[in-house]
This record gives sequence, C-alpha cells and structure tokens, in this order.
Amino acid sequence: MFKNEEMEINLGPQHPSTHGVLRVKLRLDGETVTKCTPVIGYLHRGVEKICENKTYFQGQVWTDRLDYVAAISNNLGWAEGVEKLFGIEVPRRAKYIRTLLTEQNRLASHLLWLATHALDIGAMTVFLYAFREREYLLDLFEAFCGARLTTTAFRIGGLREDLPPGFIKDAQVFQDRFLHCLYEYEELLTENRIWKKRTVGVAKLNAEDCIALGVTGPVLRAAGVPYDIRKAFPNAAYAEMDFEIPTRTEADTYARYLVRLAEMRQSHRIIQQCLDGLPEGPVMAKIPKILRSEVNEIYHPIEAPKGELGYYFVSEKGGTMPYRMHVRAPSFVNLQALPKMIEGRLLADVIAAIGTLDVVLGEIDR
Amino acid sequence: MPTMNLTQTLVMGLIQVVAVLILIFVMVPLLTFAERKVIGYIQVRLGATRTAGGLVGITGSLNRGMWAMGKVPVLSILRGLPVFIADILKLILKEDIIPAKAERSVFTLAPIISVMAAFGVFSAIAFSPGALFIFPKGFPIVGGLPFMGFISDVNVGVLYILGLSSVGVYGIVLGAWASNSKYPLLGGLRSAAQIVSYEVPLTLSLLTPVILAGSLNFRELSIRLTTGADMHWLAAFPLFVGFFIYTTCGFAETNRTPFDLPEAETELVAGFHTEYSGMKFGFFYLAEYTNMIVVSCFASAFFLGGYYLLPFGLQRFIPASVPFLGQPSILFFFLKVFAILFAFLWVRATLPRYRYDQLMDVGWKYLIPLTLVNLFAAAIIRFAF
Repeated sequence: MFKNEEMEINLGPQHPSTHGVLRVKLRLDGETVTKCTPVIGYLHRGVEKICENKTYFQGQVWTDRLDYVAAISNNLGWAEGVEKLFGIEVPRRAKYIRTLLTEQNRLASHLLWLATHALDIGAMTVFLYAFREREYLLDLFEAFCGARLTTTAFRIGGLREDLPPGFIKDAQVFQDRFLHCLYEYEELLTENRIWKKRTVGVAKLNAEDCIALGVTGPVLRAAGVPYDIRKAFPNAAYAEMDFEIPTRTEADTYARYLVRLAEMRQSHRIIQQCLDGLPEGPVMAKIPKILRSEVNEIYHPIEAPKGELGYYFVSEKGGTMPYRMHVRAPSFVNLQALPKMIEGRLLADVIAAIGTLDVVLGEIDR
Repeated sequence: MPTMNLTQTLVMGLIQVVAVLILIFVMVPLLTFAERKVIGYIQVRLGATRTAGGLVGITGSLNRGMWAMGKVPVLSILRGLPVFIADILKLILKEDIIPAKAERSVFTLAPIISVMAAFGVFSAIAFSPGALFIFPKGFPIVGGLPFMGFISDVNVGVLYILGLSSVGVYGIVLGAWASNSKYPLLGGLRSAAQIVSYEVPLTLSLLTPVILAGSLNFRELSIRLTTGADMHWLAAFPLFVGFFIYTTCGFAETNRTPFDLPEAETELVAGFHTEYSGMKFGFFYLAEYTNMIVVSCFASAFFLGGYYLLPFGLQRFIPASVPFLGQPSILFFFLKVFAILFAFLWVRATLPRYRYDQLMDVGWKYLIPLTLVNLFAAAIIRFAF
C-alpha cells in the first residue's frame, strides 16, 4: 500500500532564489537532496562569438553584460587584457582610478551578495540595508560614467575622462559611513543564532575539492587557500596598495560570509588609499585610432568579486578584432561545485549554497 | 445579568457575532497595513505611501491627499492607509483560478476550513471581563440588556479554542495536497509536521496558567491569574517562562518568521498556497492574520495580565480602589494584544528562517522538555504553597 518514491523537482528557471535563470534539477527523498544537476544556458547570448566581430574598442560594451553586478571588474579585465596584447602602458593616475572604481564595484557586488544571501535565508531587513549602500555606490558610478549598471567605464589605454568634480568628496562621504554600515549588518547576522544555525557547517567544500573543481574567489579563500590575483599577479595599481587577503579554514557558508565581510573591509582600505594617494597626470595613453594586432595570444586574469575572471585573446596579423575571445567566468566554474556541496543535505541548504556561491547567470551563460 | 428570553438570546448573540466579525475584518486589514509600515520603518523605507494608479480619478485624489498628508509629521505615518482597501478589492476582484489537475472540491474546501477554524475561535475569547455597555431601554428587543465583551462564556473555553485552532492545519494540508503540485506538497508536509510538533508545547505551556488558576473558562482564568486571592507570588515565574514558550509556539503555529517554513518564499515559492489565487488565497491570508490575533489574545489574557494593567500577579500592588489603573478594562487587553502583534512584525523584520530539521529540534528537544519542567514547577507552586 505504501511505497517510497523520490520526487524530482525543478528549482527554477523561474524561482525566487535562483538569482536569475538558473535551473537546478533536484531529486528529493522527503526533504533530502539525493541528486542535484544545475542546468544552465537560459541566458546564452553568444558574447564570445559576438566579440570576434567587434573591434577591441567595441568589445568592452559586451563585457558589461557578463557579470552585470560587477561590470567594472569585467571592464577592467577586458581593457587590461587588450592593453597587454598591444603592449600599451597606462598612466599611473588612470591605474589608480581604475583600482578605485573596481574596488567600489567589488563592494557593490558583495553588498548585493549579502543582501540576496540573507534574504534567501529569511533575514529580509539586511537586504534593504545593503541596497541602501549599494545605491550610493551606483550613484557614484553614474557620476563617473553616466551608467549605473552597464558601465563600460574604461577605455583601451586609460580612461575617457578624469573623475568628475566632487567625486572624491562624495566617495569620501561613503568611506566615512561604510564601516558603520558593515557593523549594522554584522549586528543583525554575525552572532544571530538562527543565522549561525543555517550557515555553520552548511555546504562545505574543502580546499582539495575547491582546487580540483577550479573554484576561486571567496569560496576558495574560505577554505584556507590565500589565493588572490590582486596579490598573486598584481594588475592595475594593486602592487602599490597595502591590503590583506582574509582567509578562514572552516570552508562552510558561515566562513564564506565572514571572508566576504572581511574583504569588504579590505576593499574599503584600498579605496581609501586610492583616494588619498591619487597621483596627478594624464588619464589616457597615446594610442593609435585603430589598433592592428600581430599574431599573438594572451590570457589576462583579474580578481573579480566572484573569483578569477580571465580574458583569453587570440589575435591575427593586421586584425582589428580578436580572432578568438574566451572568458573564464568565475561563476561558471564555481557553480560546478554545487552538487558536491549539497548532495545528501536538505532542500533549504540548496538555497544557502546557491547564495554562498554568489553566482550571476549573465556570466555563466555568456 | 438579567435573564433573557429565547428571542433576546438569539438577537443578542447575533449582534455580538457581527460585532466580533467586524472587529476581525477591521483588525486584519489594519494589521497588514501595520505590517507594511512597521517593517518599512525598520528597513529604513517608507512602506506603502500611495495606492495604485496615477493622479486621476478616485485613486488619484487619494494619492494627492496622501501626498499632502506626507508633509504633516504625525499624519505622514497614515499615508498608505487606503492601500488595505485596495488590497481587499484586489483579492475579491482577481480571477479565481483552479488548476486543471487540482482536486476541485477539496481545493475549494481547504481555505474555508482554515478560515472557519480561525474565526470560530473568537466565539470563546472574552475581550472584556464584563459588559461593555447597556443597550438603552427603548432599543427594540434587546433594550436594557448588557452588551458583553464576549460571544459566549464557555466553561471549557480553553479546550474549545485549542481544539478548534488545531483544525486549521487541515485546511493547509488539504489545500496543499489538492493543488496537485510539488511545491505546495512540500509546503503542506512541512506545515503538518510543524503544527503537529508545536501543538504539544503550545498546549502544555497553556496548562501552566490553567493549573495555577484552576479554571478552563477564558475570562475567569485570566481574572484569577491576575487578582486571585490564592495566587502565590512564586506563580509569576512559571507564568513568565510560559509566556515565552507560548509566544514561540504561537509564532510556529501561525507560520510566521522564523518558523515560516510552510510558505518559505525563497525555498518553496509560496509553499502551500502557491496554486491559490483570488479570494481563496485571501482566505488563507485572512486565516493567518486572524490566528495571529488569536495567539496575541491568548498571550495577553493568560500571561500578560489580561484585562488588568500589570502582568504576572503584579496587579496586587495597585489596589482596586485606584480609579482607572486598578480596574479591569478592555483597553488594557487590547494594548497587550497590539504589543504582541507588533512583536510579530518586529521579529519578521529581524530574524532569518530556521531549517526544517532545526525547527523540529527546537520543538522536540528544547521546548517540550522546558514546558514539562515549567508545568511541574507550576504544579508544585499550586499545591505545595
């Protein structure tokens, strides 16, 4: 009369907490997940192919649409990758401003992560608190380049324009306030018993698994591996900055939460150094109107908020467009850790795991 | 109380039922408005400030009025009040969809069960210990009779209320099952397990005041707990502990954060009512908020001193001769009800959600042993001192 049967459900592509159009096929035994298969591709636009038909100047626009919550990081990777390909040296002031904006963007991205992660677990007030600060940052981006989300902030060889008047003052206002805001989030979550219950020991992924799966970013650092491209292969002005790489060894959701919060403090430090030590000078290098490449290939990694974001360019002789372009998207690589994290755990942990991986579907599907 | 003949009893009952229904239908929308506003202010935003629509027509004049109100400091909180009317209108006017594969009869029955169980409870709740006012002599049929603060004075009121309120879970489980959909099914299962588990500590924690006062009558129990001559001062301790256990279980019983697993929106989309729309969903909604009011009424009456100002037996320090403060009043009762309702909203804005297994842990491993100890302590205080 009674029989046991596993139920298969689709979490997504339309679901409140899959952060876009991620679809996760789950086999459930009661509330326990026995098998998990992420299904992607709902947002595929063929960015890599499109970029093969765009000049190096035009291609950056498409990088905005990869990880749309951290567009400036994507822009930085593209601009620096192309500059590496053509051997262009960027003025020091431009490097500083790039670092400044990228770090502010990292804050914006981490704030969005904190907001949605907390909301997924049920703490909805943090969501609005974090959005309040993110809003201020987006206003700063808007003042800089006219766009809030799809910024296309940089140009090959530097910046289109210098910082607008008043930018540094506004950024400093944010700097002065932000640490207190972090304290507000922490007060709601860090020692909250329910929050700890939902995150401590949940969705573990130890260092060996992280490395085997190619997982980078805060997830890797929360497993105790201090790998950060800003230190390992310094780009922009990171070599001149004084900051630390926060790591934890617990490798669970709570550790990742602490690592990301610590990273926000470090970003805050870097921004302060950029604001204080902003050098004078031009913001644009002298580059030809049309860039014509030699036969070459380069891979340029940067530390995006989600992990290692790499741009791979293959160029041909006399070409104005990349012969082949590939993006090593951190969310894409990180997502493959999901089944490992949650199989055998409860349904509610799936939500926590998706939140803690901080995936953005624009980057996964490209 | 003057004796009443049959007609008078029936008419009086009808009047009181209507009065209580009006109370529910006023309080629930106001509660949803309060929820918007309280959570809004906690989350540094304004909450609802206007109804849908632009600046023309009825909604337009409302919106313009609310815009003007926003400039007055105190009144600005009331902006958005018309939204609750819009809410109700929306629920009533919306298309009522029954999924093709749903079990039609049960699907329709489920919200009715929920809402009936929630409303039925009010028949034994006493909002005031005595008459609120006396109908004037010339009033047809009921002239000269007192209008009581309760519908009926049931001797085993607590038992009746507990029994009826546990019927509500059938609505949720049946509705979830009849939807013939996966997310509601999961939500329904969670709900069944949760409510059955938390019914035990909830009932046990209510036994504490029952033992201390030695009555099952809602009104009498409340009065005896506060002013009873044989109440030992030690009784305050089990009542104090019982209050927290009861409120915790009350949060679980009403599916509110941090125990809102049956409708955990980020996990199960909308839980058991995913497939519901229109007024059928409205009934579930109504039932949830009505249950919140019921839980608040209980906590207010049994643990917080009910109709008197001070809880936990502290009322003895205010002699009955003090004019307003020493006397029982419906105002004190509702003051406490509102305070607890505010706590419901406050907690929702502050706490994350438990996981399914952790919820069971909290219920079975902590709350039930704690209530048993508390009950034992209450029994000792009652019979040894």
